[in-house]
Amino acid sequence: MKKKFQLLFVLLILCSVKSISQDVNLDSLLDTEEKAKNQNKTQRTIATFKTTRLIDGHTVETTQGGVLDLKISHRFGELNDGFYNMFGLDEASIRIGMDYGLTNRLTVGGGRSSYQKLYDGFLKYRLLWQSEGKKNIPVSVTLLAAAMFETDTAAMKNEKKISTSPSTADKFSYAYQVLIARKFSPAFSLQLMPSLVHENLVDSSATSNDIFAIGAGARLKLTQRSSFSIEYFYTIPGTRLPGTYNTFSIGYEIETGGHVFQIHLSNSTGMTEKTFIAENYGRWSKGDIHIGFNISRVFTIRKPKDMKM
Amino acid sequence: MYKAPVKYVRILFVFVSVIAATGFRQQPSIYQTTNGQIAFRSDAPLETIKAVSNDLIGLLDINKKNFSFKIDVHSFKGFNSPLQKEHFNENYMESDKYPYASFSGKIIEDVDLSVDGTYEVRAKGNLLIHNVTQERIIKSNITVKKNVITVNSGFTVLLSEHDIPIPKVVYQKLADEIKVEVNATFEPR
Repeated sequence: MKKKFQLLFVLLILCSVKSISQDVNLDSLLDTEEKAKNQNKTQRTIATFKTTRLIDGHTVETTQGGVLDLKISHRFGELNDGFYNMFGLDEASIRIGMDYGLTNRLTVGGGRSSYQKLYDGFLKYRLLWQSEGKKNIPVSVTLLAAAMFETDTAAMKNEKKISTSPSTADKFSYAYQVLIARKFSPAFSLQLMPSLVHENLVDSSATSNDIFAIGAGARLKLTQRSSFSIEYFYTIPGTRLPGTYNTFSIGYEIETGGHVFQIHLSNSTGMTEKTFIAENYGRWSKGDIHIGFNISRVFTIRKPKDMKM
Repeated sequence: MYKAPVKYVRILFVFVSVIAATGFRQQPSIYQTTNGQIAFRSDAPLETIKAVSNDLIGLLDINKKNFSFKIDVHSFKGFNSPLQKEHFNENYMESDKYPYASFSGKIIEDVDLSVDGTYEVRAKGNLLIHNVTQERIIKSNITVKKNVITVNSGFTVLLSEHDIPIPKVVYQKLADEIKVEVNATFEPR
């Protein structure tokens, strides 16, 4: 009896093993294979934002290595200028600038703005890249350091209430930002931007030279090629320059091949960190709202290594 | 005291049976590739776009003549600019939502792929791209040499058949008909 059981047991094992080998499903076997292969791979999240600027401020995106991004930005006058000034369309503040990707992580850029006749330059470094797979990084982090040089001395004397011309050093301002973003889904990305603006010249010794602010922004994809964006900078009250307000902007962006076109409404005239974080005198409640747009066009100057086949 | 050795013999017998059973299974009927090459090309009036990936994985069962291929869409390299690659993934293939393209089915011809030689076959199966499945018959060349199977195949994919619209502004830059070439070497699994 015992022997019979034993034989049955062995037969059962043989049969089960045989049937496993016969019912091999190639598709599921391939899935297992793929999973094993992917264990050692890290997938970086792409396109957290469409371009390197959300509306006024920077996004965590850096310009890819070897790519030149030409940017032309406009802010028209204020909507409350009335019909005579065509609700602000008669005047425009413009910034023409360029960003160049030295590597995929490091961008250098600069520009010139008509508002305050301002020159700006910046360095931007992608510290962390949101990734999945072997390395799991929940957020992207980018550091930004910018220097701004204002050359409209008449406006500066008026704004800072000084009688003598400002020195060269007085005309400099600096901005530092830590940009932290996460792409939650293909359609939704959120960004936080703790910021510090340092102005070498302020109107009185009672005013702080360092302006601290925290910004937040988001992008919501509407269609495959267009999205809605929103951006807000909240200045920490004790460090706020007198008479200034927080910048709030909403926008719509659309991309067509190598171009990204952004159109928005904002209460800021300037398009550099010192102007939209620290020196914004416009208020939404008073109708100091500017229609604005940014156009970005990319050119591949040098083909990066990972693009070569 | 006398029964114990018998018990051990029985256990040993079971073990040997199991090993023997698994041993019989080891006929090399399934072949595998993990670094096959897949390249595509779009020839439009204003622009030629090329990209390639060496991450094609595939299985081929020469007894049952069925096969399964899979490619991670993110793994394509090439393109004319980093932005183009981003658009490929974000706007056209939607790689975050549909990370894989695949082709699985059966070889129509009755060929014995355990014998060295060159065979021209038709592979019939389901081609899955951008979450849309199309039944396709794809001609392939198979070379068998010393237990190594090389598969070469060229075919076209119509973007319109896989629910990938081409925006008007890039009509002149992106072809609807994409040429695909596959090159993979299979070894016994």
